[in-house]
Amino acid sequence: MSLEKKDEYDHKNWLESKDLTPVEATFLTALIWVDKRLRIVDYLELLESLYYRSNLQMPKSHTEQYDLDNKFWYWYALYTLGFFSTLAYVVAAISGALLGFYYVPAVGSAGPGEASIAYSQIAFIMQDLQFGFMLRSIHRWSAQVMTAAVFLHMLRVYFTGAYKEPRELNWLLGIVLISLTMVFGYSGYLLPWDQLAFWAGQIGVEMSLSIPLIGEWVAQLLFGGFSLSQATLQRMYILHVFLLPFVVTTLIAIHIGIVWVQGIAEPH
Amino acid sequence: MTDDTTNTDGEPQTDGGSGPDGSEADQTVRSDGGTGIVAPDDETPTWRERKERTEGLSRLTYEYFERARSEDESLRRESDYVERDVLAFPTWPHETVRNLALTSFFVGMIIFLSATLPPHIGAPANPNSTPAIILPDWYLYWSFGLLKLGPLNPELAILGGQKLMADRTYGVLANGVIVGAITVVPFINKGSARRPVEQPFWAAVGMFGVTLAFTLSMLSVKNLMPMNVHLLFDLTFLAPPVVGAITYAVLKTMREGYMYDLNRRYYRLRPPK
Ligand code: HEM
Repeated sequence: MSLEKKDEYDHKNWLESKDLTPVEATFLTALIWVDKRLRIVDYLELLESLYYRSNLQMPKSHTEQYDLDNKFWYWYALYTLGFFSTLAYVVAAISGALLGFYYVPAVGSAGPGEASIAYSQIAFIMQDLQFGFMLRSIHRWSAQVMTAAVFLHMLRVYFTGAYKEPRELNWLLGIVLISLTMVFGYSGYLLPWDQLAFWAGQIGVEMSLSIPLIGEWVAQLLFGGFSLSQATLQRMYILHVFLLPFVVTTLIAIHIGIVWVQGIAEPH
Repeated sequence: MTDDTTNTDGEPQTDGGSGPDGSEADQTVRSDGGTGIVAPDDETPTWRERKERTEGLSRLTYEYFERARSEDESLRRESDYVERDVLAFPTWPHETVRNLALTSFFVGMIIFLSATLPPHIGAPANPNSTPAIILPDWYLYWSFGLLKLGPLNPELAILGGQKLMADRTYGVLANGVIVGAITVVPFINKGSARRPVEQPFWAAVGMFGVTLAFTLSMLSVKNLMPMNVHLLFDLTFLAPPVVGAITYAVLKTMREGYMYDLNRRYYRLRPPK
Protein backbone atom coordinates (compact mmCIF):
# COMPACT_ATOMS: atom_id res chain seq x y z
CA MET A 1 0.00 0.00 0.00
CA SER A 2 1.38 3.33 -1.00
CA LEU A 3 1.74 5.99 1.64
CA GLU A 4 0.72 8.61 -0.83
CA LYS A 5 -2.78 9.89 -0.24
CA LYS A 6 -5.43 8.65 -2.60
CA ASP A 7 -7.66 11.01 -4.44
CA GLU A 8 -10.65 9.35 -2.88
CA TYR A 9 -13.35 11.12 -4.81
CA ASP A 10 -11.35 11.06 -8.01
CA HIS A 11 -11.61 14.79 -8.45
CA LYS A 12 -8.70 14.75 -10.85
CA ASN A 13 -10.31 12.54 -13.43
CA TRP A 14 -13.55 14.36 -13.02
CA LEU A 15 -11.85 17.69 -13.72
CA GLU A 16 -10.15 16.29 -16.79
CA SER A 17 -13.31 14.80 -18.12
CA LYS A 18 -15.02 18.19 -17.96
CA ASP A 19 -12.62 19.76 -20.47
CA LEU A 20 -12.48 23.12 -18.74
CA THR A 21 -10.99 26.45 -19.73
CA PRO A 22 -7.97 27.50 -17.62
CA VAL A 23 -10.11 29.99 -15.69
CA GLU A 24 -12.73 27.39 -14.91
CA ALA A 25 -10.13 24.82 -14.00
CA THR A 26 -8.37 27.20 -11.60
CA PHE A 27 -11.64 28.19 -10.02
CA LEU A 28 -12.78 24.63 -9.52
CA THR A 29 -9.43 23.49 -8.17
CA ALA A 30 -9.43 26.32 -5.65
CA LEU A 31 -13.01 25.59 -4.72
CA ILE A 32 -12.28 21.91 -4.19
CA TRP A 33 -9.13 22.73 -2.22
CA VAL A 34 -11.06 24.95 0.18
CA ASP A 35 -14.05 22.64 0.31
CA LYS A 36 -11.95 19.64 1.27
CA ARG A 37 -10.72 21.56 4.30
CA LEU A 38 -13.72 23.58 5.35
CA ARG A 39 -16.60 21.77 3.68
CA ILE A 40 -18.02 25.06 2.45
CA VAL A 41 -20.64 23.42 0.22
CA ASP A 42 -22.85 23.14 3.26
CA TYR A 43 -22.74 26.87 3.82
CA LEU A 44 -23.04 27.71 0.15
CA GLU A 45 -26.12 25.56 0.00
CA LEU A 46 -27.56 27.39 2.98
CA LEU A 47 -26.82 30.77 1.42
CA GLU A 48 -28.31 29.67 -1.83
CA SER A 49 -31.58 28.58 -0.29
CA LEU A 50 -31.70 31.81 1.73
CA TYR A 51 -31.22 33.73 -1.48
CA TYR A 52 -34.00 31.90 -3.25
CA ARG A 53 -36.34 32.20 -0.32
CA SER A 54 -35.81 35.93 0.00
CA ASN A 55 -36.27 36.51 -3.71
CA LEU A 56 -39.06 34.07 -4.18
CA GLN A 57 -41.30 36.16 -6.32
CA MET A 58 -42.24 39.72 -6.88
CA PRO A 59 -44.91 40.56 -4.36
CA LYS A 60 -47.92 42.63 -5.17
CA SER A 61 -47.15 46.22 -4.42
CA HIS A 62 -48.39 47.37 -1.04
CA THR A 63 -51.15 49.45 -2.50
CA GLU A 64 -52.26 46.55 -4.63
CA GLN A 65 -52.21 43.99 -1.89
CA TYR A 66 -54.05 46.10 0.62
CA ASP A 67 -56.26 47.96 -1.78
CA LEU A 68 -55.11 51.25 -0.40
CA ASP A 69 -56.29 53.51 -3.22
CA ASN A 70 -53.17 55.61 -2.91
CA LYS A 71 -53.96 56.65 0.61
CA PHE A 72 -50.69 55.54 2.11
CA TRP A 73 -47.98 56.18 -0.44
CA TYR A 74 -46.75 59.36 1.20
CA TRP A 75 -45.46 57.36 4.15
CA TYR A 76 -43.14 55.25 2.06
CA ALA A 77 -40.26 57.72 1.90
CA LEU A 78 -40.02 57.50 5.67
CA TYR A 79 -39.27 53.79 5.44
CA THR A 80 -35.75 54.62 4.34
CA LEU A 81 -34.87 56.39 7.59
CA GLY A 82 -33.53 53.20 9.16
CA PHE A 83 -31.25 52.69 6.20
CA PHE A 84 -30.23 56.34 6.44
CA SER A 85 -29.27 55.84 10.11
CA THR A 86 -27.11 52.88 9.14
CA LEU A 87 -25.48 54.86 6.37
CA ALA A 88 -24.68 57.83 8.61
CA TYR A 89 -23.27 55.35 11.11
CA VAL A 90 -20.96 53.91 8.47
CA VAL A 91 -19.80 57.38 7.40
CA ALA A 92 -19.14 58.28 11.03
CA ALA A 93 -17.21 55.04 11.54
CA ILE A 94 -14.95 55.65 8.56
CA SER A 95 -14.26 59.31 9.32
CA GLY A 96 -13.85 58.45 12.99
CA ALA A 97 -11.25 55.78 12.23
CA LEU A 98 -9.29 58.37 10.23
CA LEU A 99 -9.55 60.94 13.04
CA GLY A 100 -8.33 58.23 15.40
CA PHE A 101 -4.96 58.22 13.62
CA TYR A 102 -4.28 61.70 15.00
CA TYR A 103 -6.25 62.10 18.22
CA VAL A 104 -4.65 61.37 21.60
CA PRO A 105 -6.85 61.01 24.70
CA ALA A 106 -4.50 62.73 27.13
CA VAL A 107 -4.84 65.74 29.38
CA GLY A 108 -1.08 65.84 29.96
CA SER A 109 0.31 68.46 32.28
CA ALA A 110 -2.10 71.16 31.16
CA GLY A 111 -3.31 73.40 33.99
CA PRO A 112 -6.79 74.96 34.10
CA GLY A 113 -7.45 76.87 30.90
CA GLU A 114 -4.37 75.53 29.13
CA ALA A 115 -4.53 73.39 26.03
CA SER A 116 -4.34 69.70 26.89
CA ILE A 117 -2.73 67.19 24.54
CA ALA A 118 -6.18 66.12 23.36
CA TYR A 119 -7.13 69.73 22.71
CA SER A 120 -3.96 70.49 20.77
CA GLN A 121 -4.38 67.35 18.68
CA ILE A 122 -7.83 68.55 17.65
CA ALA A 123 -6.33 71.95 16.90
CA PHE A 124 -3.65 70.20 14.86
CA ILE A 125 -6.28 68.24 12.92
CA MET A 126 -8.20 71.43 12.20
CA GLN A 127 -5.31 73.70 11.31
CA ASP A 128 -2.38 71.69 10.02
CA LEU A 129 -3.64 68.36 8.79
CA GLN A 130 -4.50 68.15 5.12
CA PHE A 131 -8.27 67.77 4.85
CA GLY A 132 -8.42 67.57 8.64
CA PHE A 133 -10.94 70.35 9.11
CA MET A 134 -13.27 68.66 6.64
CA LEU A 135 -12.67 65.29 8.23
CA ARG A 136 -13.70 66.51 11.65
CA SER A 137 -16.66 68.27 10.10
CA ILE A 138 -17.81 65.10 8.35
CA HIS A 139 -17.48 63.12 11.56
CA ARG A 140 -19.47 65.70 13.50
CA TRP A 141 -22.21 65.98 10.93
CA SER A 142 -22.60 62.29 10.27
CA ALA A 143 -23.06 61.79 14.00
CA GLN A 144 -25.66 64.56 14.17
CA VAL A 145 -27.44 63.25 11.10
CA MET A 146 -27.41 59.71 12.47
CA THR A 147 -29.02 60.80 15.73
CA ALA A 148 -31.64 62.82 13.89
CA ALA A 149 -32.34 59.95 11.51
CA VAL A 150 -32.64 57.45 14.35
CA PHE A 151 -35.09 59.70 16.14
CA LEU A 152 -37.19 60.21 13.03
CA HIS A 153 -36.99 56.46 12.28
CA MET A 154 -38.42 55.81 15.72
CA LEU A 155 -41.27 58.24 15.04
CA ARG A 156 -41.94 56.50 11.73
CA VAL A 157 -42.10 53.16 13.49
CA TYR A 158 -44.40 54.62 16.14
CA PHE A 159 -46.83 56.35 13.82
CA THR A 160 -47.10 53.43 11.41
CA GLY A 161 -47.73 51.07 14.32
CA ALA A 162 -44.80 48.93 13.17
CA TYR A 163 -43.83 48.01 16.73
CA LYS A 164 -46.78 45.71 17.28
CA GLU A 165 -46.64 41.95 17.49
CA PRO A 166 -44.40 40.29 16.32
CA ARG A 167 -42.01 43.24 16.30
CA GLU A 168 -41.86 44.16 20.00
CA LEU A 169 -38.34 42.79 20.30
CA ASN A 170 -37.08 45.12 17.62
CA TRP A 171 -38.76 48.03 19.36
CA LEU A 172 -36.92 47.16 22.59
CA LEU A 173 -33.68 46.70 20.70
CA GLY A 174 -34.34 50.06 19.07
CA ILE A 175 -34.63 51.75 22.42
CA VAL A 176 -31.28 50.29 23.42
CA LEU A 177 -29.88 51.49 20.10
CA ILE A 178 -31.13 55.06 20.37
CA SER A 179 -29.80 55.26 23.94
CA LEU A 180 -26.41 53.94 22.87
CA THR A 181 -26.41 56.37 19.95
CA MET A 182 -26.81 59.20 22.44
CA VAL A 183 -24.07 57.79 24.69
CA PHE A 184 -21.92 57.61 21.56
CA GLY A 185 -22.58 61.28 20.92
CA TYR A 186 -22.04 62.26 24.52
CA SER A 187 -18.73 60.43 24.90
CA GLY A 188 -17.53 61.95 21.63
CA TYR A 189 -18.57 65.41 22.80
CA LEU A 190 -16.13 65.14 25.73
CA LEU A 191 -13.12 64.14 23.65
CA PRO A 192 -11.93 67.61 22.48
CA TRP A 193 -11.62 68.57 26.17
CA ASP A 194 -12.60 72.17 25.61
CA GLN A 195 -14.83 74.21 27.90
CA LEU A 196 -18.07 72.73 26.54
CA ALA A 197 -16.72 69.21 26.83
CA PHE A 198 -15.52 69.75 30.35
CA TRP A 199 -18.73 71.22 31.66
CA ALA A 200 -20.91 68.72 29.86
CA GLY A 201 -18.79 66.12 31.61
CA GLN A 202 -19.32 67.91 34.89
CA ILE A 203 -23.08 67.70 34.45
CA GLY A 204 -22.71 64.05 33.55
CA VAL A 205 -20.88 63.32 36.78
CA GLU A 206 -23.46 65.19 38.81
CA MET A 207 -26.31 63.37 37.08
CA SER A 208 -24.67 60.02 37.77
CA LEU A 209 -24.09 60.96 41.38
CA SER A 210 -27.76 61.79 41.86
CA ILE A 211 -28.93 58.34 40.76
CA PRO A 212 -30.32 56.77 43.95
CA LEU A 213 -28.35 53.93 45.54
CA ILE A 214 -25.84 53.20 42.78
CA GLY A 215 -24.92 56.80 41.91
CA GLU A 216 -21.37 56.81 43.20
CA TRP A 217 -20.63 53.48 41.67
CA VAL A 218 -21.88 54.67 38.25
CA ALA A 219 -19.88 57.89 38.46
CA GLN A 220 -16.73 55.97 39.24
CA LEU A 221 -17.32 53.42 36.53
CA LEU A 222 -18.11 55.90 33.76
CA PHE A 223 -16.11 58.96 34.75
CA GLY A 224 -13.29 57.43 36.75
CA GLY A 225 -14.01 59.47 39.86
CA PHE A 226 -16.15 62.26 41.23
CA SER A 227 -14.29 65.04 39.48
CA LEU A 228 -13.09 65.19 35.91
CA SER A 229 -9.55 64.15 35.17
CA GLN A 230 -7.37 62.19 32.80
CA ALA A 231 -9.28 59.08 33.88
CA THR A 232 -12.54 60.60 32.60
CA LEU A 233 -11.09 61.43 29.23
CA GLN A 234 -9.58 57.98 28.89
CA ARG A 235 -12.80 56.20 29.81
CA MET A 236 -14.83 58.28 27.40
CA TYR A 237 -12.25 57.49 24.72
CA ILE A 238 -12.43 53.74 25.29
CA LEU A 239 -16.22 53.90 25.33
CA HIS A 240 -16.29 55.93 22.15
CA VAL A 241 -13.74 54.09 20.02
CA PHE A 242 -13.77 50.57 21.43
CA LEU A 243 -16.79 49.41 23.42
CA LEU A 244 -19.61 51.25 21.70
CA PRO A 245 -18.48 50.51 18.13
CA PHE A 246 -18.48 46.77 18.81
CA VAL A 247 -21.73 46.75 20.72
CA VAL A 248 -23.66 49.11 18.44
CA THR A 249 -22.48 47.45 15.24
CA THR A 250 -23.56 44.08 16.55
CA LEU A 251 -26.93 45.38 17.70
CA ILE A 252 -27.59 47.12 14.38
CA ALA A 253 -26.79 43.87 12.60
CA ILE A 254 -29.22 41.97 14.81
CA HIS A 255 -31.85 44.71 14.42
CA ILE A 256 -31.68 44.63 10.63
CA GLY A 257 -31.43 40.84 10.68
CA ILE A 258 -34.71 40.70 12.55
CA VAL A 259 -36.30 43.05 10.03
CA TRP A 260 -35.09 40.74 7.28
CA VAL A 261 -36.53 37.68 8.96
CA GLN A 262 -39.84 39.27 9.91
CA GLY A 263 -40.32 41.44 6.87
CA ILE A 264 -41.37 45.06 6.93
CA ALA A 265 -44.66 45.68 8.71
CA GLU A 266 -47.32 46.10 6.09
CA PRO A 267 -49.12 49.39 6.24
CA HIS A 268 -52.83 48.87 6.01
CA MET B 1 -10.81 1.21 -0.24
CA THR B 2 -10.22 0.35 -3.81
CA ASP B 3 -10.82 2.73 -6.60
CA ASP B 4 -11.34 0.34 -9.45
CA THR B 5 -14.78 1.66 -10.32
CA THR B 6 -14.05 5.22 -11.38
CA ASN B 7 -17.47 6.70 -11.86
CA THR B 8 -16.42 9.55 -14.07
CA ASP B 9 -19.94 10.06 -15.33
CA GLY B 10 -21.73 10.30 -11.98
CA GLU B 11 -21.23 13.43 -9.87
CA PRO B 12 -19.77 12.78 -6.45
CA GLN B 13 -22.42 13.06 -3.78
CA THR B 14 -21.75 15.97 -1.46
CA ASP B 15 -24.46 15.19 1.04
CA GLY B 16 -22.86 12.02 2.33
CA GLY B 17 -25.23 9.94 0.25
CA SER B 18 -22.55 7.84 -1.36
CA GLY B 19 -19.16 6.65 -0.31
CA PRO B 20 -15.91 6.79 -2.28
CA ASP B 21 -16.81 3.58 -4.01
CA GLY B 22 -20.36 4.73 -4.43
CA SER B 23 -22.18 2.71 -6.97
CA GLU B 24 -25.71 3.59 -7.92
CA ALA B 25 -27.13 0.99 -5.59
CA ASP B 26 -25.41 2.53 -2.60
CA GLN B 27 -27.07 5.86 -3.06
CA THR B 28 -30.57 4.73 -2.34
CA VAL B 29 -30.48 3.70 1.29
CA ARG B 30 -27.96 4.38 3.99
CA SER B 31 -28.75 3.50 7.51
CA ASP B 32 -25.36 3.67 9.15
CA GLY B 33 -25.46 7.39 9.81
CA GLY B 34 -22.79 8.42 7.32
CA THR B 35 -20.39 11.18 8.26
CA GLY B 36 -23.03 12.77 10.41
CA ILE B 37 -22.37 16.26 9.09
CA VAL B 38 -25.45 16.61 6.97
CA ALA B 39 -28.28 14.19 7.34
CA PRO B 40 -29.50 13.07 3.93
CA ASP B 41 -32.94 14.40 3.28
CA ASP B 42 -34.80 11.12 3.52
CA GLU B 43 -33.22 10.39 6.87
CA THR B 44 -34.00 13.64 8.61
CA PRO B 45 -36.42 12.64 11.33
CA THR B 46 -39.74 14.39 11.16
CA TRP B 47 -40.94 16.41 14.08
CA ARG B 48 -43.24 13.54 14.94
CA GLU B 49 -40.39 11.08 15.06
CA ARG B 50 -38.28 13.42 17.14
CA LYS B 51 -41.18 13.93 19.47
CA GLU B 52 -41.65 10.26 19.96
CA ARG B 53 -38.00 9.77 20.86
CA THR B 54 -37.96 12.38 23.63
CA GLU B 55 -39.77 13.29 26.78
CA GLY B 56 -40.10 16.20 29.14
CA LEU B 57 -39.28 19.70 27.94
CA SER B 58 -37.79 18.64 24.64
CA ARG B 59 -40.90 16.62 23.90
CA LEU B 60 -42.99 19.72 24.58
CA THR B 61 -40.73 21.70 22.26
CA TYR B 62 -41.19 19.24 19.42
CA GLU B 63 -44.92 19.10 19.99
CA TYR B 64 -45.02 22.86 19.66
CA PHE B 65 -42.84 22.80 16.53
CA GLU B 66 -45.14 20.32 14.90
CA ARG B 67 -48.12 22.50 15.71
CA ALA B 68 -46.40 25.60 14.44
CA ARG B 69 -45.59 23.92 11.14
CA SER B 70 -49.16 22.92 10.56
CA GLU B 71 -50.32 26.43 11.48
CA ASP B 72 -48.03 27.74 8.75
CA GLU B 73 -49.40 25.19 6.34
CA SER B 74 -53.03 26.05 6.92
CA LEU B 75 -52.38 29.80 6.80
CA ARG B 76 -50.59 29.28 3.53
CA ARG B 77 -53.52 27.33 2.14
CA GLU B 78 -55.99 30.02 3.17
CA SER B 79 -53.87 32.84 1.81
CA ASP B 80 -55.28 34.57 -1.25
CA TYR B 81 -51.86 35.69 -2.26
CA VAL B 82 -51.60 36.06 -6.02
CA GLU B 83 -48.77 34.15 -7.65
CA ARG B 84 -46.78 36.03 -10.19
CA ASP B 85 -44.65 34.90 -13.07
CA VAL B 86 -42.03 37.52 -12.37
CA LEU B 87 -39.49 36.25 -9.88
CA ALA B 88 -38.09 39.55 -8.64
CA PHE B 89 -36.38 42.73 -9.70
CA PRO B 90 -32.93 41.82 -10.95
CA THR B 91 -30.27 42.82 -8.46
CA TRP B 92 -28.30 44.42 -11.26
CA PRO B 93 -29.07 46.96 -12.50
CA HIS B 94 -32.45 47.75 -10.91
CA GLU B 95 -31.81 47.25 -7.21
CA THR B 96 -28.16 48.20 -7.31
CA VAL B 97 -28.63 51.42 -9.20
CA ARG B 98 -31.49 52.52 -7.02
CA ASN B 99 -29.56 51.77 -3.85
CA LEU B 100 -26.44 53.50 -5.12
CA ALA B 101 -28.48 56.55 -6.05
CA LEU B 102 -30.05 56.74 -2.59
CA THR B 103 -26.70 56.16 -0.91
CA SER B 104 -24.86 58.84 -2.88
CA PHE B 105 -27.67 61.28 -2.27
CA PHE B 106 -27.55 60.77 1.49
CA VAL B 107 -23.76 60.76 1.76
CA GLY B 108 -23.65 63.81 -0.48
CA MET B 109 -26.04 65.55 1.88
CA ILE B 110 -23.78 64.84 4.85
CA ILE B 111 -20.71 66.08 2.98
CA PHE B 112 -22.56 69.19 1.86
CA LEU B 113 -23.53 69.98 5.43
CA SER B 114 -19.96 69.39 6.60
CA ALA B 115 -18.54 71.67 3.95
CA THR B 116 -20.95 74.53 4.60
CA LEU B 117 -21.21 74.38 8.39
CA PRO B 118 -17.96 73.04 9.85
CA PRO B 119 -17.73 72.83 13.65
CA HIS B 120 -15.39 74.99 15.69
CA ILE B 121 -13.72 74.42 18.97
CA GLY B 122 -14.05 76.51 22.13
CA ALA B 123 -11.50 77.52 24.75
CA PRO B 124 -9.59 74.70 26.48
CA ALA B 125 -11.15 73.11 29.54
CA ASN B 126 -10.97 75.28 32.65
CA PRO B 127 -12.41 73.92 35.89
CA ASN B 128 -12.03 77.33 37.50
CA SER B 129 -14.32 79.29 35.21
CA THR B 130 -17.86 78.09 34.67
CA PRO B 131 -19.11 79.28 31.28
CA ALA B 132 -22.39 81.21 31.22
CA ILE B 133 -23.95 78.65 28.92
CA ILE B 134 -23.39 74.92 29.35
CA LEU B 135 -25.08 72.77 26.76
CA PRO B 136 -24.82 69.23 25.51
CA ASP B 137 -25.54 68.40 21.86
CA TRP B 138 -29.08 69.22 20.78
CA TYR B 139 -30.31 65.63 20.97
CA LEU B 140 -29.74 65.58 24.72
CA TYR B 141 -31.62 68.82 25.37
CA TRP B 142 -34.79 66.94 26.32
CA SER B 143 -32.91 65.06 29.02
CA PHE B 144 -31.21 68.27 30.10
CA GLY B 145 -34.62 69.95 30.30
CA LEU B 146 -35.80 67.24 32.67
CA LEU B 147 -33.15 68.39 35.13
CA LYS B 148 -34.94 71.72 35.36
CA LEU B 149 -38.20 70.33 36.68
CA GLY B 150 -37.46 71.42 40.24
CA PRO B 151 -40.74 73.35 40.56
CA LEU B 152 -42.63 70.16 39.81
CA ASN B 153 -41.13 68.40 42.81
CA PRO B 154 -43.37 69.90 45.48
CA GLU B 155 -46.14 67.41 46.26
CA LEU B 156 -43.85 65.86 48.79
CA ALA B 157 -43.01 69.29 50.17
CA ILE B 158 -46.56 69.46 51.53
CA LEU B 159 -45.77 66.53 53.77
CA GLY B 160 -42.83 67.67 55.80
CA GLY B 161 -41.92 71.01 54.30
CA GLN B 162 -38.99 69.40 52.58
CA LYS B 163 -38.61 67.51 49.39
CA LEU B 164 -38.27 63.79 49.49
CA MET B 165 -35.47 63.85 46.96
CA ALA B 166 -33.19 66.46 45.50
CA ASP B 167 -34.39 68.22 42.37
CA ARG B 168 -31.55 66.65 40.43
CA THR B 169 -32.41 63.13 41.53
CA TYR B 170 -35.97 63.89 40.53
CA GLY B 171 -34.81 64.95 37.07
CA VAL B 172 -32.62 61.89 36.61
CA LEU B 173 -35.49 59.61 37.61
CA ALA B 174 -37.74 61.44 35.14
CA ASN B 175 -35.40 60.22 32.40
CA GLY B 176 -36.05 56.68 33.52
CA VAL B 177 -39.80 57.28 33.51
CA ILE B 178 -39.74 58.55 29.92
CA VAL B 179 -37.60 55.69 28.62
CA GLY B 180 -39.82 53.26 30.52
CA ALA B 181 -42.95 54.75 29.00
CA ILE B 182 -41.56 54.33 25.49
CA THR B 183 -40.52 50.78 26.29
CA VAL B 184 -43.95 49.54 27.29
CA VAL B 185 -45.77 50.92 24.25
CA PRO B 186 -45.88 47.65 22.28
CA PHE B 187 -47.18 45.80 25.33
CA ILE B 188 -50.04 48.21 25.91
CA ASN B 189 -51.10 49.11 22.39
CA LYS B 190 -52.00 45.81 20.76
CA GLY B 191 -54.25 44.92 17.88
CA SER B 192 -53.82 45.29 14.18
CA ALA B 193 -54.40 49.02 13.69
CA ARG B 194 -51.48 50.66 11.94
CA ARG B 195 -52.35 54.00 10.49
CA PRO B 196 -52.88 57.06 12.67
CA VAL B 197 -56.50 57.39 11.46
CA GLU B 198 -57.16 53.89 12.69
CA GLN B 199 -55.92 54.73 16.15
CA PRO B 200 -56.43 58.45 16.82
CA PHE B 201 -55.73 58.03 20.52
CA TRP B 202 -52.27 56.53 20.04
CA ALA B 203 -51.39 59.02 17.36
CA ALA B 204 -52.39 61.74 19.83
CA VAL B 205 -50.14 60.15 22.46
CA GLY B 206 -47.33 60.20 19.91
CA MET B 207 -47.83 63.88 19.11
CA PHE B 208 -47.96 64.56 22.84
CA GLY B 209 -44.57 62.87 23.20
CA VAL B 210 -42.98 64.66 20.27
CA THR B 211 -44.21 68.02 21.51
CA LEU B 212 -43.03 67.27 25.03
CA ALA B 213 -39.56 66.38 23.74
CA PHE B 214 -39.55 69.68 21.87
CA THR B 215 -40.81 71.88 24.71
CA LEU B 216 -38.46 70.20 27.19
CA SER B 217 -35.61 71.02 24.83
CA MET B 218 -36.75 74.63 24.77
CA LEU B 219 -36.89 74.59 28.56
CA SER B 220 -33.33 73.34 28.75
CA VAL B 221 -32.11 76.45 26.93
CA LYS B 222 -34.42 78.75 28.88
CA ASN B 223 -31.75 81.34 29.46
CA LEU B 224 -31.40 81.71 25.70
CA MET B 225 -35.11 81.92 24.97
CA PRO B 226 -36.46 85.42 24.41
CA MET B 227 -39.40 84.75 26.66
CA ASN B 228 -40.55 84.88 30.26
CA VAL B 229 -39.11 81.85 32.05
CA HIS B 230 -42.30 81.08 33.98
CA LEU B 231 -44.39 81.30 30.84
CA LEU B 232 -41.94 78.95 29.14
CA PHE B 233 -42.19 76.50 32.02
CA ASP B 234 -45.98 76.53 31.89
CA LEU B 235 -45.99 76.17 28.12
CA THR B 236 -43.68 73.17 28.42
CA PHE B 237 -46.46 71.22 30.04
CA LEU B 238 -49.48 72.92 28.49
CA ALA B 239 -48.47 72.64 24.86
CA PRO B 240 -48.18 68.83 24.66
CA PRO B 241 -51.74 68.03 25.83
CA VAL B 242 -53.10 70.75 23.57
CA VAL B 243 -51.27 69.36 20.55
CA GLY B 244 -52.38 65.87 21.52
CA ALA B 245 -56.01 66.97 21.76
CA ILE B 246 -55.87 68.71 18.39
CA THR B 247 -54.34 65.60 16.80
CA TYR B 248 -57.07 63.47 18.27
CA ALA B 249 -59.82 65.78 17.01
CA VAL B 250 -58.36 66.02 13.53
CA LEU B 251 -57.86 62.28 13.16
CA LYS B 252 -61.32 61.45 14.47
CA THR B 253 -62.75 63.82 11.91
CA MET B 254 -60.68 62.37 9.10
CA ARG B 255 -61.74 58.92 10.14
CA GLU B 256 -65.36 59.78 9.57
CA GLY B 257 -64.49 60.74 6.04
CA TYR B 258 -62.77 57.48 5.22
CA MET B 259 -64.39 54.48 3.71
CA TYR B 260 -63.41 51.33 5.51
CA ASP B 261 -62.87 48.80 2.85
CA LEU B 262 -59.27 48.46 3.87
CA ASN B 263 -57.91 45.03 4.19
CA ARG B 264 -57.07 44.69 7.85
CA ARG B 265 -55.54 41.32 7.67
CA TYR B 266 -51.93 41.11 8.46
CA TYR B 267 -49.63 38.74 6.68
CA ARG B 268 -46.86 37.22 8.69
CA LEU B 269 -46.03 34.64 6.10
CA ARG B 270 -43.81 34.62 3.13
CA PRO B 271 -45.63 34.00 -0.10
CA PRO B 272 -46.33 30.33 -0.80
CA LYS B 273 -44.07 28.48 -3.18
C1 HEM C 1 -28.90 52.80 15.40
C2 HEM C 1 -30.17 52.97 15.23
C3 HEM C 1 -31.07 52.21 14.29
C4 HEM C 1 -30.78 51.64 13.07
C5 HEM C 1 -29.46 51.66 12.31
C6 HEM C 1 -32.01 51.05 12.60
C7 HEM C 1 -32.15 50.39 11.37
C8 HEM C 1 -33.35 49.88 10.90
C9 HEM C 1 -33.62 49.49 9.55
C10 HEM C 1 -32.62 49.59 8.38
C11 HEM C 1 -34.90 49.03 9.49
C12 HEM C 1 -35.65 48.57 8.23
C13 HEM C 1 -36.87 49.43 7.95
C14 HEM C 1 -36.60 50.89 7.81
O1 HEM C 1 -35.55 51.26 7.30
O2 HEM C 1 -37.47 51.69 8.24
C15 HEM C 1 -35.45 49.11 10.82
C16 HEM C 1 -36.72 48.72 11.19
C17 HEM C 1 -37.24 48.81 12.49
N1 HEM C 1 -36.70 49.55 13.52
FE1 HEM C 1 -34.85 50.37 13.53
N2 HEM C 1 -33.00 51.23 13.54
C18 HEM C 1 -32.46 51.94 14.58
C19 HEM C 1 -33.12 52.38 15.71
C20 HEM C 1 -34.42 52.04 16.05
C21 HEM C 1 -35.18 52.59 17.13
C22 HEM C 1 -34.69 53.71 18.07
C23 HEM C 1 -36.39 51.95 17.16
C24 HEM C 1 -37.56 52.14 18.10
C25 HEM C 1 -37.49 52.31 19.36
C26 HEM C 1 -36.39 50.99 16.09
C27 HEM C 1 -37.40 50.09 15.82
C28 HEM C 1 -37.55 49.44 14.61
C29 HEM C 1 -38.66 48.56 14.28
C30 HEM C 1 -39.82 48.16 15.22
C31 HEM C 1 -38.46 48.17 12.95
C32 HEM C 1 -39.38 47.29 12.12
C33 HEM C 1 -40.29 48.24 11.35
C34 HEM C 1 -41.11 47.60 10.28
O3 HEM C 1 -41.08 46.37 10.14
O4 HEM C 1 -41.79 48.36 9.56
N3 HEM C 1 -35.19 51.07 15.42
N4 HEM C 1 -34.49 49.63 11.66
